[in-house]
Amino acid sequence: MAVKTFSRDHLHFVLYEVLGMEEVTAHEYFNGHSRETFDMILEAATELAEEYLQPAYRAVDREEPQLSDGQVKVHPLVHKFYHAYTESGLMAATFPNEWDGQQLPRTIAAAVQFILSSANNSFVMFTDLVKGVANVLLQFGSEEQKALYLPKLLSGQWAATMCLTESQAGSSLSDITTMAVPAGEAAYHIKGQKIFISAGDQDITENIIHLVLARIEGAPAGVKGISLFIVPKNRPGADGKLVPNGVESIGIYHKMGQKATPAMHLEFGGSGTCVGYLLGEANRGLQYMFQLMNSARLEVGLAGVSVASLAYCTSLQYARERVQGRRADAKDPNTPPAPIIQHPDVRRMLLIQKAFTEGTLALILQCYKYLDLLKVSEGPQKQHYLDLLELLTPVAKTYGSEEGNRSVYQALQVLGGYGYTTDFPVEQIARDARIFPVYEGTTGIQSIALLGRQIPQNNAQAVDLWSEQVMPDIQVALESEALQLYADQLNQSIEAWKSVTGLLLRIREERGNEAYLANATLYMQLFGILNVAWQWLRMATVAEKALSGSTVTTERKDFYHSKIQTMKFFYNYELTKCKVLCEQLTSEEQLSVYNPEAEILI
Amino acid sequence: MKILVCITNVPDTTAKITFAESDTKLNKTGIQFIIGPYDDYALARAVELKEQNGGTVTVLNVGEAEGEPQIRKALAIGADDAIRVNAEPTDSYFVASQIAHIAQQNNYDLILMGRESIDFNSGVVHGLVGEMLGIPSFSPVMKLDIEGSTAKFAREIDGGKEYMEAPLPLVFGCQEPIADWKIPNMRGIMTARTKPLQVVEPVAVDDMAINEKYTQPAAKGECKMIPVEDVEKLVTLLRTEAKVL
Ligand SMILES: Cc1cc2nc3c(=O)[nH]c(=O)nc-3n(C[C@H](O)[C@H](O)[C@H](O)COP(=O)(O)OP(=O)(O)OC[C@H]3O[C@@H](n4cnc5c(N)ncnc54)[C@H](O)[C@@H]3O)c2cc1C
Ligand SMILES: Cc1cc2nc3c(=O)[nH]c(=O)nc-3n(C[C@H](O)[C@H](O)[C@H](O)COP(=O)(O)OP(=O)(O)OC[C@H]3O[C@@H](n4cnc5c(N)ncnc54)[C@H](O)[C@@H]3O)c2cc1C
Repeated sequence: MAVKTFSRDHLHFVLYEVLGMEEVTAHEYFNGHSRETFDMILEAATELAEEYLQPAYRAVDREEPQLSDGQVKVHPLVHKFYHAYTESGLMAATFPNEWDGQQLPRTIAAAVQFILSSANNSFVMFTDLVKGVANVLLQFGSEEQKALYLPKLLSGQWAATMCLTESQAGSSLSDITTMAVPAGEAAYHIKGQKIFISAGDQDITENIIHLVLARIEGAPAGVKGISLFIVPKNRPGADGKLVPNGVESIGIYHKMGQKATPAMHLEFGGSGTCVGYLLGEANRGLQYMFQLMNSARLEVGLAGVSVASLAYCTSLQYARERVQGRRADAKDPNTPPAPIIQHPDVRRMLLIQKAFTEGTLALILQCYKYLDLLKVSEGPQKQHYLDLLELLTPVAKTYGSEEGNRSVYQALQVLGGYGYTTDFPVEQIARDARIFPVYEGTTGIQSIALLGRQIPQNNAQAVDLWSEQVMPDIQVALESEALQLYADQLNQSIEAWKSVTGLLLRIREERGNEAYLANATLYMQLFGILNVAWQWLRMATVAEKALSGSTVTTERKDFYHSKIQTMKFFYNYELTKCKVLCEQLTSEEQLSVYNPEAEILI
Repeated sequence: MKILVCITNVPDTTAKITFAESDTKLNKTGIQFIIGPYDDYALARAVELKEQNGGTVTVLNVGEAEGEPQIRKALAIGADDAIRVNAEPTDSYFVASQIAHIAQQNNYDLILMGRESIDFNSGVVHGLVGEMLGIPSFSPVMKLDIEGSTAKFAREIDGGKEYMEAPLPLVFGCQEPIADWKIPNMRGIMTARTKPLQVVEPVAVDDMAINEKYTQPAAKGECKMIPVEDVEKLVTLLRTEAKVL
């Protein structure tokens, strides 16, 4: 029987009461949709998850994909899901009508993704990569390329991957060495190896379209010499039939989690000729790839929330059923043992999870809403959403990943010794979740991007941009007697963050980038907490207002009350960390900065 | 071929059931309603038959406006149009009378529904409808094909299956594996919005049943886990505690 992996009530609350999807559907591009279609789509996603994803969760963890004779075979249950997903039309859902899409807002597609991922996170990479690559082709491909690839991808007939990483170039993509040698008419011969390529090979689709970063012979060094190529696993021959294109699976990684998806070591042009087709202009490849990566980063943050949601639901249910020990004030030894959900320490662990999952879901869906509004905006308004997304994407990715892992850790602890065994799924969730802080840019790299690029650029304009988003919500909360205290707390934390930012920028002037960026990850933590605190204040404001309405039912009252209390929990247990983080960030000692004269890591 | 599929709105199987109005009504707040799972199979088969043989599929629901999302879902799965009889479905006789009334006006070749609803589980509506229309009804039907104006179908019976043929029109109460469970796709969802949904008022029917009181089933006893190697203990417990041997 299906088990609960997410809260439908909370998802609906965020979408319809907090975010206000009408603002999106009011635009012509999205006006084929309404709450009615959204609800049906979310229900269909729930059914897909229950039918194809949940039942496969454990099985695909036990039986990894196999590479034999140069061909990868993935689990039959992955095949089943992939076909059901493509038949559902979700692959093309957010694409324009002219590509057989339904112009579904990205926000709702993200909600779908959340539902699917909470049931089984290790499958969705097969489908996400296809959508991501199709999106890049739609934006930067030639008409010919679009006509050739988009229908195949959006119908799921062909799948896709992104090939960036090489053994010497993981975080530092400027060091890639895969080469592209001109071979006439926008065609190139590709030569090189890529590692860790997710869904890099499989036996589900007849073809795989790899988007490969490579250097055209003679291109400048560094990121300015990187181009992007479409490299099919099989290329259409003269008679239209597919022929192998010199892409070989030379290794498969054995990973700690997300085992349904193979991570491949691929060789391009090793033994046979491998033809790649230039996408967009030469030497602008990384810029195009960032389109895909930005979207993938939001997805990774969301995946962190999704698996944390599964772990939270599992541990909540467990805590309701498991009896152990007595309440601290129960004097009589004959008192029956209490369900552990009554112990404050267990409640604390559950509340950490609830506050993270619900708050970060709101933040990430807010980012997706910016993406939707970006789609329908022009000029300065478009730039506004672009700036917000540039600023918030690394935060959504990193906070979702890092805190998602911390959240799952709490679930493990709630299950006591059972959590450590394979009798319950939480150990698998913990393994699956561990990749999020690594791929699509590690936490360190995201944090350096935030503090090194987004914050300082244009005279630290991002600080004002962000504050302008948040201040109106604080103002509203300040007017509520019940929320005033918390609005004040957030306001003060924001002031502290601003002054730390100013101080750090001075350090940058005086001591250079290395000193400035030394604690970028702590800065990311700080900014992440502020963002989720903002979302909690928004949610509490909506809940507070709803509670004062006359028609609210008892069940709804409990629901809104729980939102306000969880906001308070977040403010008490997480927002208070800002103080310590600010202290750490402004410490004079700078103990982590490398000093070759006096190395302390000995 | 004209197919009518009758669907019920039932609480989701995971819903927590409580009662209201001195235990005479189901408390609907906070409950997620779904199409009756057996009705879902009937609908899925109807859509498949339409795809194979052409024709139309109409869904019919006797229920109040709050059930319209389920009707729209049936349209998204592939029904062409829908009729809602605007009334609270009080008992099987009332529901069957409404269905029969609609059917009399429309000459359907096939009337499909679930073998039973999963709230009251009476499992009699298909029989009543057949009787009211004067056409044969069969249940539970787990396989159904149409050849010309003949239905070839299999019905579950004690210890096996019964294969039969009968001329249309017919009424069937369906169950799995009559068709693959269908999840609405994006295109279906988008077109469902504009498919016709007609709301009609019910015909008057005498009350045949009154709900006096609902009660919850007794709570399940605690589950005892007995290791596989301890079969003797299991037998002893079944004798002495459960007293079933
Ligand atoms: C399961 C899985 C799936 C993957 N899927 C894909 C895929 O589909 N396509 C693809 O192209 N790649 C993929 N990758 C690769 C992934 O993106 C890289 O692993 C990631 O970018 C990190 O690179 P690396 O492993 O080489 O680590 P490194 O770059 O060696 O980093 C090691 C550590 O050093 C830190 N570090 C590195 N440079 C700096 C710096 N300048 N300043 C501060 N800290 C630094 C990092 O933060 C990290 O903690 C996948 C990886 C895995 C494990
Ligand atoms: C790999 C492994 C090896 C082990 N080896 C041994 C062994 O050699 N010998 C042996 O005897 N045992 C062994 N154990 C059992 C281990 O000691 C227990 O799992 C551990 O004591 C926790 O008990 P539990 O699993 O029943 O969790 P529970 O007691 O059910 O705890 C579940 C959660 O509730 C919390 N909780 C429980 N009671 C209270 C309370 N009163 N107040 C607040 N919070 C509470 C706990 O902190 C925990 O977070 C082993 C377990 C594992 C997983």
